[in-house]
Amino acid sequence: MSEVSSAISVNNLWQVFGPNPEKIVGSADASLPRAELREKTGNTAAVRDVSFDVAPGEVFVVMGLSGSGKSTLVRCLTRLIEPTSGSVVLNGEDIMKVSDARLRELRRTKFSMVFQNFGLLPHRKVIDNIAFALEVNGVSKEKRHARANEVIELVGLQGFAYAYPEQLSGGMQQRVGLARALAVNPDVMFLDEPFSALDPLIRRDMQTEVIRLHEELGKTMVFITHDLSEALKLGDRIAIMRDGAVVQMGTAEELIANPADAYVEDFTRDIPKSHVLTVRTIARPLADTETATGRTIPAETIIRDATAAVLDANGPVAVVANGNVIGYIKSRDILQVVGGGTEA
Amino acid sequence: MVRNKRVGAKASVLAAAAALLLSACGGAGVDAEASDAPAGDCGSYAIAMHAWVGYTASAQVVTEIAKANGCEISQVTLAEAGVTYDAMESGSVDLVIEDWGGGRWQEWADRGALVEVGENGNIGLIGMYVPQWMADEYPDITDSANLNKYADLFVTDESKGKGAWYEGPPGYTTIGEKMVSANGLNFTVISTGSEQALIDVFTKADADKTAAIGYFYEPQNFLAKVPLARIKFPANDWTDPEQASGLTDYPESPLIKLATPKVMDANDAFTKIVKNFSWTNADQNEVAADIESGTDPAVAAQKWIDAHKDIVDGWLK
Amino acid sequence: MSVRTEPIIAITPKRISRRWILGGLLLSWIVLAQFLRGKATLELDNPDNSPFTTWAGEVADSIRDNRTDGAAFKFFFNPIREFIDGFVTLSRELIAIPSGSSSIPVLGWLGVISVIGFVVYAVSNIRMATAAVALTFACGALGLWTDSMDTLAMTFAAVILSLAIGIPVGIWAGLSDRVLKAVTPILDLAQILPTLVYLAPLALFFLIGPASATIATMVYSIPIAVRLTAFGIRGVPTSPVEASISMGTTKRQLLQKVQLPMSSRTIIMGVNQTVMAALSFVVIAALIGAPGLGKPVIDALIIRNVGEGFVAGIAVVLIAIMLDRSTSAAISSQDTFVPPSDADRKRRRIGLAIAGILAIVGIVLSRQLAWAAFFPKQIDISKQIASASDSSVKWVTENMEFLTAGLSKAVTVGVLNPLESVLANSPWYLTVVMITLMSLILGGIRSAIVSATLLGAIVATGLWYDTMITFTQTIVATLLTMVVGVIAGVWIGRNARAERALRPILDAGQTLPAFVYLIPMLGFFGPSRFTAIATGIVYSIPIVVKIVGQGIRDVPVNMIEAATSTGSTKWQLITKVQLPAAKKSLLLATNQGLIFVLAVVVIGGFVGAGGLGYLVLLGSSKPELQGKGLVAGFCILLLGVMIDRIAQYMVARNSAPKH
Repeated sequence: MSEVSSAISVNNLWQVFGPNPEKIVGSADASLPRAELREKTGNTAAVRDVSFDVAPGEVFVVMGLSGSGKSTLVRCLTRLIEPTSGSVVLNGEDIMKVSDARLRELRRTKFSMVFQNFGLLPHRKVIDNIAFALEVNGVSKEKRHARANEVIELVGLQGFAYAYPEQLSGGMQQRVGLARALAVNPDVMFLDEPFSALDPLIRRDMQTEVIRLHEELGKTMVFITHDLSEALKLGDRIAIMRDGAVVQMGTAEELIANPADAYVEDFTRDIPKSHVLTVRTIARPLADTETATGRTIPAETIIRDATAAVLDANGPVAVVANGNVIGYIKSRDILQVVGGGTEA
Repeated sequence: MVRNKRVGAKASVLAAAAALLLSACGGAGVDAEASDAPAGDCGSYAIAMHAWVGYTASAQVVTEIAKANGCEISQVTLAEAGVTYDAMESGSVDLVIEDWGGGRWQEWADRGALVEVGENGNIGLIGMYVPQWMADEYPDITDSANLNKYADLFVTDESKGKGAWYEGPPGYTTIGEKMVSANGLNFTVISTGSEQALIDVFTKADADKTAAIGYFYEPQNFLAKVPLARIKFPANDWTDPEQASGLTDYPESPLIKLATPKVMDANDAFTKIVKNFSWTNADQNEVAADIESGTDPAVAAQKWIDAHKDIVDGWLK
Repeated sequence: MSVRTEPIIAITPKRISRRWILGGLLLSWIVLAQFLRGKATLELDNPDNSPFTTWAGEVADSIRDNRTDGAAFKFFFNPIREFIDGFVTLSRELIAIPSGSSSIPVLGWLGVISVIGFVVYAVSNIRMATAAVALTFACGALGLWTDSMDTLAMTFAAVILSLAIGIPVGIWAGLSDRVLKAVTPILDLAQILPTLVYLAPLALFFLIGPASATIATMVYSIPIAVRLTAFGIRGVPTSPVEASISMGTTKRQLLQKVQLPMSSRTIIMGVNQTVMAALSFVVIAALIGAPGLGKPVIDALIIRNVGEGFVAGIAVVLIAIMLDRSTSAAISSQDTFVPPSDADRKRRRIGLAIAGILAIVGIVLSRQLAWAAFFPKQIDISKQIASASDSSVKWVTENMEFLTAGLSKAVTVGVLNPLESVLANSPWYLTVVMITLMSLILGGIRSAIVSATLLGAIVATGLWYDTMITFTQTIVATLLTMVVGVIAGVWIGRNARAERALRPILDAGQTLPAFVYLIPMLGFFGPSRFTAIATGIVYSIPIVVKIVGQGIRDVPVNMIEAATSTGSTKWQLITKVQLPAAKKSLLLATNQGLIFVLAVVVIGGFVGAGGLGYLVLLGSSKPELQGKGLVAGFCILLLGVMIDRIAQYMVARNSAPKH
């Protein structure tokens, strides 16, 4: 991808804890497994040589288990943790190279973050929490409260502007977190496991809320999670991290259809493939014994959604992409996926 | 809102402070009522208080007279000598009415921190005493040469197999260990820490007819209540306070007054009182006896002052 | 006390053999001490100086000679002293001593009480305000109005100055790891330093008087303010801080808008602790000329009677309770960040207005009318209390002599003398070697090195013998404290009702100055080492009981349930489950007990306990021994550090996870 077309471009990012971290980057030691590296040099490589680009308006999900380096990665992107080496280019500006003052300015205007533990200020009312970034940027009280009221409306917090965070439920608190991140109208939002601390039901609501906000506002988002189903639900593309490095990156379908290694496959095992894969992945040539039914189905249809149509067809259905038939499926193909019998 | 409350509180405190300022002008009302003393031209002074009742008697008499003459007096309790001299140097104490220090203040006087004002009329005599019953039962015990003979009588759990020698408190003038070694005595010096502890020791020894040898001194009203016998030690030259060893006994010495230059330069009523104050051991004992028996020191002092108008008037001239 | 964690080696088989080695070591020590008794004890007669103390005396003399025109005094010490003196005088003139040309303080008694009522109401609630007013009034009823106000004024001045230094330093230490690292050893040291120790050196530089006393108080209370402020700043949850940084706050904005507001509760707790520390210094500060309630206590100790000391002690406790409750009420009103409703706020504003008017009326009256200016002499219950306490102590001394004398004799002959003969009356090298070996076994190599170094330093000062006398008393008092403290601690740890019943007593016990205990103890036991020991025990028991009780309470419930389900008896439960599980608390309690005991045993110099404390006192009044007094203070410090280090290493060792 070219620089212009991406909102963020991350190149060869490293974050190494411990003595003389710069020496580790690029050395032979860098490729050692975590435990061996610590044994040998006393260093821990939390982020190893990570590169990716996020397109404007894209929701990019970084997924991994705890300790995989995903939280460190997202903090490196905003320099809450200083990376050891590499570059993070935001709208053409390498934020690794900017001065402290410029970095503050970027934080106040260009990007914002949502945190797992909300990170709300308990001694401030909801409205003042939301307006905080504007306040530290010197926006007048009148203006920042006006803006805060807009986003309060946007995230559905009407009536709670003058409440204190501890008077709100967890889900409501995270709405404040979202509103606060939206208040500055940022170019990019970073969300660090924003819903991990919430009950499953609330979590689902909030995920839907994020999807809605994304549809309405079209913000570029980098979303960190340890929950694959969340990743699949939200992510345009997903990067899977392990031991600080990205093991695989791609769309949900690509990951499930072609796991890069056993680790990724292990992750995806319990995901109902019919919910993720499109009919494209199971389209096959017509067998000699079969006759096409004349019905068609678009290639990007999720298998689950295609089920009724295909079962109804009583024979092979043509899978169509860009007006061309790329293959056929029939009810047995679908049942195999739903039943979990086939490798995709 | 903690915030709001604080703001509220702050505002009210400010209001209170303002009111305070306003009412500050009104203080004169109380002053007029309060000043029953003749409005003399006298400054404000601090008198050192030492922890023996005789001193309290002297200091309290000076305090009451000074107050009656318009001086403002505060009392500061301190250990004898070093600490007190330091206090005089810092200006937090202006007067020692009864100093036993044997000239250890010279260094401070040289620096101009204090001035010797002369004798206060009391004759101080520190010594080692036994209860009278012991002197009666062992007539030769009052001669220090025979003390070792009786050392066994004085042994306690605290005395490491030797005789227990009850020493005065650390804030007093004491040379017990020097005496023990200079006189070749088989005794262990045990600090008692307070006048009261010494009195307890002798009271008990007198009542139970137990053995005890300890530090005591006159003037002290207690000697009138419980008879004690002073042990005679060989005399020595007391003029060299730096003498590290070889001190054999306490000398009989006139007690002196020490004051800061501030007192001497003021030339007010207090200066006169300090310069002229002088009374006898009997006078001190009279006041001390009242204090000992539970009378408030101020009341006891006032009683003596009322009874000796002529003497007091003499001091004020 | 903070528990430092050190690398830990705890191997089960070693544990068993360690006990045997320890026993063998003790036995051989006792045997050797018998053989070598009285040899090389380095005993130095009280009036004599060692080369080191002579040198210290010369240094002190030269400092003193510099007082009038030395540059350090002219431009540093004297200005500081004058500034603080001025500040203290100002706060005393407000409530305690006549101000300016007037014959009364700015506020007469009614004025003071009104202001106290108003301020306490403003920071907490009406109940607290009433209690504060009643407590303050009670000080007057004890016949100690002026002394109480002096104490209050001194405490106030010391606290304001302590906070002015302590909070900024604490904030700095809260923000910077490097600063924290730099101040931590100083804070630790200040906590183990017995208060008596720094009086003499401070007096050397700041002379005797309220300024010195205030500075000494500040030395004692600043570390507490620093520690709790730093703790508060560091205790702010990371996520709001991180979130704020991610929104582009500057460091200053972060501090002002996030870290300070969020740590205000802990910082106010620090204020509370600072106030209590400053107040607890009141009595000892009287030794260097502080006005206030310390004066009657010291008077009573040295000259008069139990009763007067007790009455003054009660006044100290009343003020302590008043200050403690009102400052901690201010904390609990901070329990939540959520404000009360508008109606509540309105009601409160009306309340404040009424209280404010009342306060102003009180102030005005106290400046206009004699009855409101001078505390009424007719209200005085001190005589009754004094004579009641006098007669009860007298009754005990007269009728329980068999008990007091027996107790004193049993401890002195049975424990104190034998231990003293081992520690002090045996050759110094034997004691040094043995203590070093024991700390090697108990605390590991580092604690052995620390012990050997500190003991060597003590030997070098020439005050070895006196240090060992003090050490002996400290150990004996701590042992007895632990016996009583563990029993009581287990009791309140297992029994919530006992805990509730005992807590006020323990709290009061902790606020009563040690000197107040010393007086009746002197009555009971006479001038002796046991008097110092008994006082040390009484003084340190509350803290030990509290720590042990907490430790027992903190034993996980499932552990107890598991033991109970296997049919343990109550005794087995205590000895086999609860005490071992609370081992760390026990060690911590021992450490605290030792430090508390040491502080009091030193004061025992006042009552014939000898040792280092006596030398400190001797040095303060006898110019030729001032060097020795200063060095004795230094030895107390070395002893304290040694005890603390060994105990800390032991705690660290024992907090090892067991396999």
